[in-house]
Order: sequence, then structure tokens, then C-alpha cells
Amino acid sequence: MEDVQVVAMLVRRCIAGDSAAWEEIVQTYNRRIYNICYRFAGSGDDAQDLTQEVFIKMYRTLPSYDHTKGAFVTWVTTITRNLLVDHFRKSKQDRMTDSMDTSASDHEDAQPLSEQIPDQSAPPDAHVRSREVGETVHAALAKLSPELREAVILRDLQDMDYREIASVLKVPEGTVKSRINRGRAELARLLQRTYRQVM
Amino acid sequence: MQCNEFELVLTDAIDGVLTGTGLDRFQAHARVCKACGPLFAEAEAGRNWLKGLTEVEPPASLVNNILVSTTGVDTQRLRVTARAPQPRISWWEHVQASLIESLLEPIWATVRQPRFAMSFGMAFFALSVGLTVAGVKPNDLKQVSLRPSAIRHTYYATQARVVHYYENVRIVYEVESRVREIKRNVAPAEPSRKESRPAKPKDDKNDTTQQPEQKQERNYSQTDNHLILASAPVGPSPSVFDWSNVDPSNPDLPVVSVTTYRRFV
Repeated sequence: MEDVQVVAMLVRRCIAGDSAAWEEIVQTYNRRIYNICYRFAGSGDDAQDLTQEVFIKMYRTLPSYDHTKGAFVTWVTTITRNLLVDHFRKSKQDRMTDSMDTSASDHEDAQPLSEQIPDQSAPPDAHVRSREVGETVHAALAKLSPELREAVILRDLQDMDYREIASVLKVPEGTVKSRINRGRAELARLLQRTYRQVM
Repeated sequence: MQCNEFELVLTDAIDGVLTGTGLDRFQAHARVCKACGPLFAEAEAGRNWLKGLTEVEPPASLVNNILVSTTGVDTQRLRVTARAPQPRISWWEHVQASLIESLLEPIWATVRQPRFAMSFGMAFFALSVGLTVAGVKPNDLKQVSLRPSAIRHTYYATQARVVHYYENVRIVYEVESRVREIKRNVAPAEPSRKESRPAKPKDDKNDTTQQPEQKQERNYSQTDNHLILASAPVGPSPSVFDWSNVDPSNPDLPVVSVTTYRRFV
């Protein structure tokens, strides 16, 4: 967990023009933001662009951060989530209606999801199989609706508590829990359907 | 337990924070409810799938790109530059490098352009045609002496030639003669003042003609309005002068006094 005072001091130094403090913030949070963007956008290139945009927006709006209103990580995640939603609206992607044969992301070498199902009968290597499973889950995650996807990403991948997620998504905690449950269940159904097709 | 209550505690049950009677009631509902039972199973499976996902590694250039796009500082390049040993160069090499970069590079970049080559070719062609028309031959240039005295001599000779040519131009000659006439017409008031001054014996060493200066006489004789009266002593006229009476030992010629009266109009 972040130390509130340390982060507040870092932000103050940043606002005062200390480039070393800003570099420290970038070094600390770039991995987290990149992962959120990658899981939400589904593409490595998009994630890189979005991460840069998040930091540019953060750099410009850093003076508006008030540490008494919430944790810095929540503020950063809120910026990231808002930018991702904007990106989603601009790209007009409706993954809920996509078929399972469409390309999921650049990281899967543009193969259809049905072709990325791991061959359980003869796994060549456990590591490779694990990686393929991960790619399958990532592709299935991209099929979820944005509301469900962002909820499960923040909860299961970023380990945020429900109150923080509610703060980021600006919805009640009950809604957050409901979205998480529905997101998890939807993901499981997508994966079950995929494996059933292979079997 | 109702289905809506079941959904509210579903996350707690999956997170493992639901204990005691709440957990018992939850499990009992999951066993009997056809909608909530599968939901619990699917939600738990979905969570397990997601927990299996590992964190992806961001690209190595991401941090640098972020810093460049935000602060404009390329820290990676700065680090590499700071780490790399800088070769020592002398101040002369530094000056040469800066001169080459600042002066010669732009000139060379301009020279390399096709339009400049075309212009240079046209200028050379025009120069060669001009020299040919002027009669200048390259062989003549070899014989040109570049000594200072020779250059000075060439300069004065050329200047004299130009002046001579200029003064021989018809229109210049006519203009000069008109100017002289105007001066003559304007000048007549001056001689009275000259006469009032005592006549100074003129010792003009440069005058080799031994003749009196007749400039003024010539001017006066040009007008008919001038009346000149002369008086001579009684005796034989100069035209019938008897040269036989002249004493050879005294070769002085007889003095003839002439008085002129000038009347200026």
C-alpha cells in the first residue's frame, strides 16, 4: 500500500517542477496503468498509447489532486478508467456481438479465438500451455461488456477493494459487486463455450 | 435467503469473508436455487480464470516515451550520454567543427542543389561569351604582369585612353565650346579690375614663345565696339624705316611708343 504522506510529498515536488519526482511517479505506476489498459483494450500497442495518454493527462492535472479526498492510486485509476471509457466510445467497439472467430488482439498473432484453444490432449510444454490459457482468458475478457470488464479488472487483476472501485466507477458498492459477479460468470460461460467447441 | 440477498453476499463468499450462519444460509440457497447455484459456480470459476492471468511486462521504452511526451526530457539518452566517455577535443578542432557546421554545411547543401548547378553553368556560359565578344583570349591573360608598377602603369594608361576618348566625343566637344562662349559673354567686367592693378612683370619661365600674352587682346579684337587709338612720334613711318641708319654697334631698335585708349561698351 502506498504511504499517503510520501506520495503527497512526491506530488508536491512534482508540482514544484522536480522532474526526478515525476520520473519516480512514472516508474512506480506505469506497470499498473499499462496492465489495466492492456486488459481493457486488448492490444499491446493500444495499451502503450493509452498509458502515455494517461500520464500526459495526469501530468497536466496533477495540481488538482487532493490527498484528503482519496488515495493517489485511486485518483490515477480513475483517470485511467475515464480515458479507457472515452477510448472505447471513440473506437465504437461492441465486443458483446463479436463472434468467437474474430481476431481478439495483436498479442494472439491475429488468430481466431477458436484456434487459440489449448490442445489439452498433448500439451507440449506446461509453460507454453499456461501462456496459451492466459491468452484465451485475455481474449474472453475482451468479449465482456465494458462495465463488467472494468469491474473485474479492477477487482481481480488490480486487487482494489469494493469501496475504491465504487469511487473510481462512481457507482454504489452494491452495483460494483453485482457487476463483478456477472462479469466473472459471463467470463466463465464464454470459456466453457470455447472449450466445449474444441472438445 | 432470497436470491437478491444471495447475490449481495456472493462476492463475500467467493472472497472467503463470509462465515458462520451467513455461510450456512448461503450454501443452503445455492444448493436449492436453480439460478443462484450455477451463478455461484460460474462466478467462482471466472474468478479463478482471472486470478490465473499474470501481469504483463510493459515495453522497455514506455517510461522513456512517457517522460519525453510529458517533460520533454529524454532521460534514456541523457543516461547513455552521461555514461559514454566524451573524447577530448582541442579548442581549434571545436572551432573548426563549429565553423564547418555553421558555415560550410549550408553552402555545401546549397551547392548540391540542381538549380544552383544550372545557375553556375549559365553564368559560366555568359562569362565565356562575353570574354569572346570582348576579344579577350586566355593566352593574353598569361602575359599580364601583376607587378604593382605595371598595374599602376596600366591603370594610368587606361585612364588617359578613357579621358582622350571622352574629350573627343562630338557632343562633349560641342558642349564644352558652348560653355566657353557663355563664360566669355559673362566675363567682360573683369578686365577693368585687372588693368587697375599695377602690371607685374611676368616672368613666366614656361613661356618659350617670347611673345606677349595676347589673350586679352584677342578677346577685345573680337568685338567691333572697341576703339583703339595709337599715336606715334613725328618721323618716318615704321613701314618706311631706314634700316641703313642703324648703328651696327648699337643694335637697339628705335623705340616706338603706342598709346591705346580702350573704351568699353
